[in-house]
Amino acid sequence: MPERRPAGIPGSELTGPFPVGVYAARLRERLRGFARVQVFGEVFGFKAGRAKVWFELRDASGALPCSMWREDFEALGIPAPADGVQVVVAGGCDYYPGSRTASPSFSFAVGALHVAGEGDLLAQLERLRRALHAEGLFEPQKRLPRPQLPRTIGVVCGEHGKARDDILAGLRRRGWGGRVAWAFAPVQDRHAAPAVTRALQDLAACAEVEAIVVARGGGSLADLFAFCDETLCRTVALLRVPVIASVGHHTDRTLLDDVAAVSCSTPTHAAEAAVPLDCGAARTALAGQARRLERQGRRALVERARILVRLSRAPAAHVERHRTRLHQQLRELRAAARRRVAHESSGNHGAAVALSRRARAAATARASRERQAATHAAALVRLAALDRRRRDLDRLALALAAHDPQRTLERGYALVEDSAGEPVTSAAAARGQLSLTVRLHDGRVPVRPEPPVP
Amino acid sequence: MAEADTLTYEAACERMEAIIARLDSGESGLRETLELCQEGRRLVEFCAAELDAVGRGLEELRLDELVARLEA
Repeated sequence: MPERRPAGIPGSELTGPFPVGVYAARLRERLRGFARVQVFGEVFGFKAGRAKVWFELRDASGALPCSMWREDFEALGIPAPADGVQVVVAGGCDYYPGSRTASPSFSFAVGALHVAGEGDLLAQLERLRRALHAEGLFEPQKRLPRPQLPRTIGVVCGEHGKARDDILAGLRRRGWGGRVAWAFAPVQDRHAAPAVTRALQDLAACAEVEAIVVARGGGSLADLFAFCDETLCRTVALLRVPVIASVGHHTDRTLLDDVAAVSCSTPTHAAEAAVPLDCGAARTALAGQARRLERQGRRALVERARILVRLSRAPAAHVERHRTRLHQQLRELRAAARRRVAHESSGNHGAAVALSRRARAAATARASRERQAATHAAALVRLAALDRRRRDLDRLALALAAHDPQRTLERGYALVEDSAGEPVTSAAAARGQLSLTVRLHDGRVPVRPEPPVP
Repeated sequence: MAEADTLTYEAACERMEAIIARLDSGESGLRETLELCQEGRRLVEFCAAELDAVGRGLEELRLDELVARLEA
């Protein structure tokens, strides 16, 4: 629905007002009408959208927003350009008019893009990298066995570069004192790639060489480009000897780094990778292993010797045990025999004794029967005499009792005794005593005689 | 055991580790123990010889010298 046209600004001499959509469409037409040109500058802020890629092209005096269909960019086969990469673009101005719901934008529509200078080298490099990778040439070197302790290693480097010293330092750090075969080669000009390739082939042709280091210090990408040479990389990929590459720094990855068995950031590290074993540590470990072997061997022998000794002693001990037991049984047997004999003989003796006792008893019985009749008569006489004596004794006891002082005392008489307990029978004797005792039937009373009256 | 001319340091080390592990397990009989010890001793000697071979100090020579020496 066409919008209602408002009145213009009072006093303005300009034409219009026009609807913005109409003006935007006209603007796009005009911009598209500009001459199509090539523009160069540095890429900045490259980003990929769903359908298009976006970046700015800048130089010291100005900048231009650029866009490119994404599929056109991908068809170039180059990585997303980093900030600062020099490119040449071809195309023309374009304008997206936007709408009520979308912002308008201006951009230089790029139809073709070419990386210039180093950037161009990078693009070539990337194409070659993809090609080699697709052919599987990154793999063969990685599959080669790398000896832990090579005796001879080959080194390709510049004759007077710092890399040479770094490699020697790395080898010394490993405690390695093997043989180093130097194959010096120019490492940076156009002669470098063929020379390095030949050096590698020559080294690999020596059966003694077990690993090869290719080293050079850092440099510009153009310098390092010798190590991205296709022939060199294809040669390395198919060498029988593992190649350890240390070319430039880790930020500059050359194709050699990709095809080599190992890629290191410094020549020192490359030397260490060529001799993976730390010889000093290996010596210590080996000594430890030798000691363990000796110990195990000795222990196995000593343990078994101990068992043998024990086993060899066993029969003797067994016999000794049996001997002791036998002795004991013998002693027990003897003791038992003695006991049995003693027992048997004592039984015989008893029988004999019993027999004689019985004979004696028979004789005695006969005599005693004869004696018994006589004894019976005698006993009757003895009983009569005994009865008589008992009667006499009773009479005597009665007479004696009649004379017992105690009986007299019981009738009220008292007995006077001196200090010795003798009876005092006269007054004169009583006067002579210091003390007297009057004995009554139920106890004694001490008395003192009065002194005589003058 | 690999023959001495084809034996490598890493193979020798690997075999020695296996031998020591077997001995440490205490499961080997006397004959096996003695044989393993003997083999281990040979391996130690081999490894020591390998280490000695690269223990005499760096020898540097140019590739053409190496080739000449090998061809001589």
